[in-house]
Amino acid sequence: MLQLDSVSINRGNSVIFSNLKATLNTPGLNLIRGKNGSGKTTLLRTIAGFIPIESGKVIYNRKDITFRKNEWVKKIIYVDSHNGLSEDLTVFENLEAWLNMKGWSSSKQKVTEALKSLDMDKYSNIYISKCSEGLKKRAALVRLYFSYIFEVKFWLLDEPSNGLDQASILLFKKMITNFLQQNGTIILTTHDKNLFNEKHNVINLDLLKELRAK
Amino acid sequence: MTSSNSSWSFVFVTHLKRDFLINFRSLIDLVSIISFMFLIIILFILGVGPFKEKLEIIGNAIIWVGLILSIIPSLEKTLQKDFENGWFDQLATSSIPLEIVLLSRSISYWLIVMIPFLFAAPLFIILLNIELKAVPWLLLTMTIGSLAISLIGLNGASLILGAKRGNILLPILIIPLVIPILIFGVGVNEAIKMEADPISNLLLLVAFTLIYLVISPFISALLIRIAIAR
Repeated sequence: MLQLDSVSINRGNSVIFSNLKATLNTPGLNLIRGKNGSGKTTLLRTIAGFIPIESGKVIYNRKDITFRKNEWVKKIIYVDSHNGLSEDLTVFENLEAWLNMKGWSSSKQKVTEALKSLDMDKYSNIYISKCSEGLKKRAALVRLYFSYIFEVKFWLLDEPSNGLDQASILLFKKMITNFLQQNGTIILTTHDKNLFNEKHNVINLDLLKELRAK
Repeated sequence: MTSSNSSWSFVFVTHLKRDFLINFRSLIDLVSIISFMFLIIILFILGVGPFKEKLEIIGNAIIWVGLILSIIPSLEKTLQKDFENGWFDQLATSSIPLEIVLLSRSISYWLIVMIPFLFAAPLFIILLNIELKAVPWLLLTMTIGSLAISLIGLNGASLILGAKRGNILLPILIIPLVIPILIFGVGVNEAIKMEADPISNLLLLVAFTLIYLVISPFISALLIRIAIAR
């Protein structure tokens, strides 16, 4: 179980959350919902460990992840709207650099297999600067394939379906189903209510803020 | 075949490889460093006028100032691109210390600046009428000094990540910090010219560079963590 225990986050003088309490299903699919500017991305980045918590804890398996960051980051793959792709590298080189950055090494064959999972193998030698937004998103989401190899337990995804065409969304949904079947945990932000058929847990930030105000 | 290899040396080398690929593909940046340096030297030569003696006196200083000023404009880009494309967020999900990655980034930046400089050096040496016996010392001090400038520069570039007018702030932040490097670097070359012992200046130059080599990756990593948390 992943728990947000009275989490407060400030940015400068503005309070993003104060005393936020929520429980996420692990394993399972968790959707973070809320209006624009409600703090969905901030919450996701906090769970990833990028943003320091003002007060409170993020607890996984009864341990505060803030103090076990090295263990925690090994378990996660994070993909957001920025994608983390260099324009001067090809799709293949970007994926290879990302694997190496994680401290993982993989054969060319495995990297090609990963690219095939989102039908990206034919774009493998294309520079990111020449890719459309949809292709860039797919090139970033291909990383999720390696969860099965390197025992990643969590996917943290910020608006992952943005820019994807219908065929890619179907492939992506297939990846999600497979990951959930293998006891993975997915935490994602999305505005698309019809994206998932799977049973999911919703963390509605607007609702949580209203409840606290009352 | 797949394997988990989280050794620091593996990550260091693979990051060097990535940075080299990126930098050599944006050749225009490399060419601009050397062209900018060439222009600075030409401006000085034209400013001094047709007096060979004057140029001999300030030649070493001109080449050092040229190196410092030509490195600064390209520094901002080295980290800004990766900050904007989200690469640093990805780095934050690695269990490898960010300090190792930034040390590798400083080394790659240094090599990328120094390799074209060494190719262009004969031209600068002829233009500034630098004595042949001083050339090995000049190249040695500039190689060491440019490592220190790269390390300090990366600290400055980390500090301005996400800042709106970073390109204006960067020289103001970096130039005061590179003054010791300039003083001891020029000091070695001046000692050679006067046939004095250059070792004390050289050792101080090396000492400053080593200090920066140790502390700079920690400062940059701290600043980048703050930038990611914004």
